Amino acid sequence: MTQATETRRPVIRDAVPGRRDVREVVRDEQVMRRRILEVLAGGPMTVPEIAAAVERPTHEVMFWVMGLRKYGWVAEIKEVDDDGYYRYQVVEREGS
Amino acid sequence: MKGTTKYDALVVGSGIGGMESALKLGDMGYKVLVVEKDASVGGKMILLSKVFPTLDCASCISTPKMAATIHHPNIDVLTYAEVDGIRANGDGTYRARITQRPKFIDEAACTGCRQCEMACNVAVPDEFNADLVSRRAAYIAFPQAVPKKAVIDRAGISPCTGACPAGIKAHGYVARVRSGEYEQAFDLVLEATPLVGSLGRACYAPCESECTRGELEGPLPIRRLKRFIADAHYGRGRDGDPEAVAIEQNGKKVAVVGSGPAGLTAALQLARKGYGVTILEAAEQAGGMLRLGIPAYRLPNEVIDHDISNVTALGVEIRTGVRVDDPAGLKDDGFDAVLVATGTHKAVRLRVPGEELDGVRSALTFLADVKLGKDVGLSGKKVLVVGGGNVAIDAARSARRLGAASVDQVSLECCEEMPAHDFEVEEARAEGITLHDGWGIDHFEGDGRLQAAEIKVCTCVFDPDGRFHPEYDETQRDIIACDVVIVAAGMRADTETFGLETNGDHTLVADPGTLQTAVPHIFAAGDVVTGPTMITTAVGQGRRAAFMIDRYLQGQVLDPGLFDEPLPVVDKDTVLARQQVYDRREPLESNAVMRAAPTDFEETEGPMTEDEAFLGAARCLDCGVCSECHACVDVCPADAIKLDDRPVAIEAEVGTVVLATGFNLFPADAKPQYGYGRFKNVITGMQMDRLLAPTRPYNAVLRPSDGKVPDNIAYIMCTGSRDETVDNPLCSKICCMYSVKQNQLIMGALPLADVTVYYIDVRSVGKGYDEFYQQARDMGCNFVKGRVSGITETEEGNLTLRYEDIENGGALAEAEHDLVVLAVGVQPSRGVAELFAGNGDALALDDHYYVGEVDEDLDPGRTNLPGVFVAGAAAGAKDIPDSILHAGAAVAQAAAHLERARVADEAKAKVPS
Repeated sequence: MTQATETRRPVIRDAVPGRRDVREVVRDEQVMRRRILEVLAGGPMTVPEIAAAVERPTHEVMFWVMGLRKYGWVAEIKEVDDDGYYRYQVVEREGS
Repeated sequence: MKGTTKYDALVVGSGIGGMESALKLGDMGYKVLVVEKDASVGGKMILLSKVFPTLDCASCISTPKMAATIHHPNIDVLTYAEVDGIRANGDGTYRARITQRPKFIDEAACTGCRQCEMACNVAVPDEFNADLVSRRAAYIAFPQAVPKKAVIDRAGISPCTGACPAGIKAHGYVARVRSGEYEQAFDLVLEATPLVGSLGRACYAPCESECTRGELEGPLPIRRLKRFIADAHYGRGRDGDPEAVAIEQNGKKVAVVGSGPAGLTAALQLARKGYGVTILEAAEQAGGMLRLGIPAYRLPNEVIDHDISNVTALGVEIRTGVRVDDPAGLKDDGFDAVLVATGTHKAVRLRVPGEELDGVRSALTFLADVKLGKDVGLSGKKVLVVGGGNVAIDAARSARRLGAASVDQVSLECCEEMPAHDFEVEEARAEGITLHDGWGIDHFEGDGRLQAAEIKVCTCVFDPDGRFHPEYDETQRDIIACDVVIVAAGMRADTETFGLETNGDHTLVADPGTLQTAVPHIFAAGDVVTGPTMITTAVGQGRRAAFMIDRYLQGQVLDPGLFDEPLPVVDKDTVLARQQVYDRREPLESNAVMRAAPTDFEETEGPMTEDEAFLGAARCLDCGVCSECHACVDVCPADAIKLDDRPVAIEAEVGTVVLATGFNLFPADAKPQYGYGRFKNVITGMQMDRLLAPTRPYNAVLRPSDGKVPDNIAYIMCTGSRDETVDNPLCSKICCMYSVKQNQLIMGALPLADVTVYYIDVRSVGKGYDEFYQQARDMGCNFVKGRVSGITETEEGNLTLRYEDIENGGALAEAEHDLVVLAVGVQPSRGVAELFAGNGDALALDDHYYVGEVDEDLDPGRTNLPGVFVAGAAAGAKDIPDSILHAGAAVAQAAAHLERARVADEAKAKVPS
């Protein structure tokens, strides 16, 4: 029961904040990992704080931080701050 | 499982309806085959948080059924498999064609440890988490997957990798660079060839020509990324291969004649397998054409030295200044096999008058002399280079650097048709070389010493059959004064003394698949077989030759099909269709520095910075999904990665078929007024279920836009159901109750959150359902009767809902929420009817494209095809209890069908013939 593949040519456009294809955002996780871990080296941060530090949209940072969390690079601090945000910190890994 | 197998029943799909059908049939003693397209059984139920109205944990009640299905003695389960077609045999039985998709994992060995997943370098949206987070190309579907085995998502070979004649995993090392794993990237290239640095500079990069990103803004800088990783590796003083000490020698010896790309590559591969390898090189220095033919401004000698150290570190001995005239005779020196990889070092003559004059020389000896540091005396001379290929360009640019007063180049072909690459022609022109394209040499003039060349217009280079046969306009001529002529009219193999069969162009005759010559222990590879070609082609030949020599010396059959055996290359259009839009990411520009009058052999192209490498690699589209970076291979403790896995065709004879293909969720973006996909805080009911599940994608229920804990959540009921505007007038039956379930779970997880449900009417039909609904109201959930007409997004990412407030006079009202959940309805699973295409009678669907039942009320589960039954939501929207009940009905029908057939067979057997 395979779906027919569309072969419509895609559109290329200049980056529009908030409108990137999910697949493209997710693909950047591997690239953004280094930058996010660098900024978190200074201490735990919320998603909006990380986004400001790496100068990328918060919803994209959400994908990357949750991906890094899923694969054991970062972990949340259990308490939510007054604004309703969790803070995330680097997880010490073997060889890191 | 291969070939044709026989079962009583085939169950298509392994959601709750499929599992229930299989288990009941299995319990009755029937042999059942379950085919599931995903990597785990369990369907959608296993992905839910809890079930209504009991609020039992969905995982807790699903996993026992999943395990029972997999381990039942009467049930065989094929996961990650597709039913391609089901054909009626005419006697109430069926023959199913099934494809077991390759998982690229040895399931028996895989322990489900997730090490492969943790190491994988390719991230894609996780469909099992409703695309809220990433998964990896190597993955286990979800934590409770049954079987809990990894699969590797491979759409095919990426076009870049598929284009590399050397067999280098281009996508793989790009993915490694993207993850900052430079040493591992180097090692991946080293798996194929020792020439990491040389290829990073001098390869003509067929990978880039095929890069799918080239269909957008331009290809990735794949070659320069290879240079980057080589520079990083060698820059750390990491010459040589650390694996050398671990190689166990097998006692056999192989002679490799020639130390060019084919010879060095074969030597590396053979040394890794434990052979004692000796390279015999006629020149003073090793490296073949890399050393002697490519100028230092493109490929410095130090880089070649570094690359060769990868070979010598494995114990390979290189003897230079040793010319081999009789390869077969090397057996007498104790070599068990010989590889002839001597290249094409003999220059082809122009055969024009005056070619014997002092001052006319071949480009090959000229370039070799220059590279070896000999004085070629060009200072102040007028130089004419003859030829239109890359060697000619190299000679011309080298002459320019050696102080020639002028450098002219004559090419038979016009500029657009010259064999040299366009960029090389441009670079030559930028360095002040005067190109006379479309001209040929008539003769050289001089009085013992060269003085000039007379040229004439070339009207045609090749005959209609494509053979080299230049024709000239003898009336159009010119004279070019010159002191030195460098002829680059071609090169050929020097094989006259070898005693081996040769072709008309002096190349050796060798089997193209095995590279074995007529003398069994002599193999041949590289340009000496193919004629002059690219470095990567020679590397690929070297790899193939080493593979075959190993098999020959191990007494194994030389089967060309066993070498590499790649998957098909993934189609670029298929790759591009994965996204509707692509953000523009301009390719990295060349940093080659062109000088009008270069005076040294400094490299023209500079190295990449780390940031450039990162950005360059980040443009990769992961065409094949899996990049073949081998990170999973490196870390798997069970040695379970099986990249040579391939699809397996299976045929099954079955007595009955149960279709349990489930349903699809309504695509929420088909209601654009709700902004799904545009507004980050508009999510679907399934996404909320994932956020509430114990194996959730986030650490809590959070807004996808920014990770904030929501405190004012809205539900919009009947999204895509009971809605003629999207061609679905049906009630989906489950949306009301799953929303009520989520309401209660949210109020438990987020006690301070407000929950508002916008509904038409709440349908809570079922045992305990209405009480469950009332319980949500009592807990504080706010139910507002009114259909939402549209949503807008505020600057903070909140959502303003416009709705008709029916209970307050029908006035239009607005309300702001910080998270909106669309209670999406269900749609039929498509493609079921196509399974029966080609049969006399088609599988009938109902008016709404669900699998049709002959009589839903009196004969549930029976389709129009004898022996084919439908179970669960494949026949229409159902909740879990109803799916299980319906599966029971379908199973009873299927069992009755099987029993009728059995009784009929027995009766037939009793009739005396």
